[in-house]
Amino acid sequence: MEFIAFVIAIAIANQALRGYKLSKEKTLLYLNLSFVLIGAGLLVDGLSSLIVFLTGVRRGFLYPFAIGYTINFLAQVIAYGLLVYAYIHQARSVSESPTLALAAAVPFLFFERNAFTELILLFLLVYIATQTGINYSINKGTNSMLVFGAFLALAISHVFFLIFTVAPVFYPFAHIAQLCGFLLLLAMLLRVNRPT
Amino acid sequence: MMPGKQAEPRPTAKYRSQFRIYVDIMSVIQRESNEAKPTRILYGANLSHDRLVKYLDELKALGVIQETGTDDKIYSLTQKGIEFMNNFRRVESFAQAFGFKI
Repeated sequence: MEFIAFVIAIAIANQALRGYKLSKEKTLLYLNLSFVLIGAGLLVDGLSSLIVFLTGVRRGFLYPFAIGYTINFLAQVIAYGLLVYAYIHQARSVSESPTLALAAAVPFLFFERNAFTELILLFLLVYIATQTGINYSINKGTNSMLVFGAFLALAISHVFFLIFTVAPVFYPFAHIAQLCGFLLLLAMLLRVNRPT
Repeated sequence: MMPGKQAEPRPTAKYRSQFRIYVDIMSVIQRESNEAKPTRILYGANLSHDRLVKYLDELKALGVIQETGTDDKIYSLTQKGIEFMNNFRRVESFAQAFGFKI
């Protein structure tokens, strides 16, 4: 699932980069950097999980999994922090993002999924989902609805990841919600690039 | 500031980038079935005459619009201009989907 999400994230990043090259609009550059980081985090997490799976889940082999998760977490915090910054930058209300400072304050290694890390990601995603929801309520476009749905699904996935820390049964639901989020983004990308 | 004069309030209109003005001009031409007179462009893109002439010259130099006619000038998009606008529409709808304006 992480590999599918990685490909979609890179496709979104590529579209944002093309937009930035054409318009030189900084928010598109932030969007590009954000999805590059999300993609990189997903790839590292997916590869580390694959290593753990291929080598067998034994205590000594859990280290790559922990490193993968930590990199994925940091990439996501910075990526979603950048998106939050892009929305704040667009609104031109403040010049600095508190979330980026939050990202810098995060300790380097977490070793495993825990409630604290998931709460940080959930907080960022709820903010982004709210912004995209407001955007959808204003322009009522299908693409806006897909993006809103995507970030809502990603926020829900982190709610499941949060519950997973106490109830492991929710782990597959979290991954399914995450995949749904990226598939919605793919649907938006395909709609945008339809031949005119 | 002149003595005795109060500071003028800053304009509330949003600053329009050169890129946005190019797009606005080309959108007007496209809207006019790809044949637009300068007056139409002037009103449609909300520009002064001097600035319109400047931007039309720049767009011609970029090869995205062409000028025809002698007395009554008509502007139309070139193939390069049409492709640019198609790409711009894609980027615009992509950015709008996220709630970003370009």
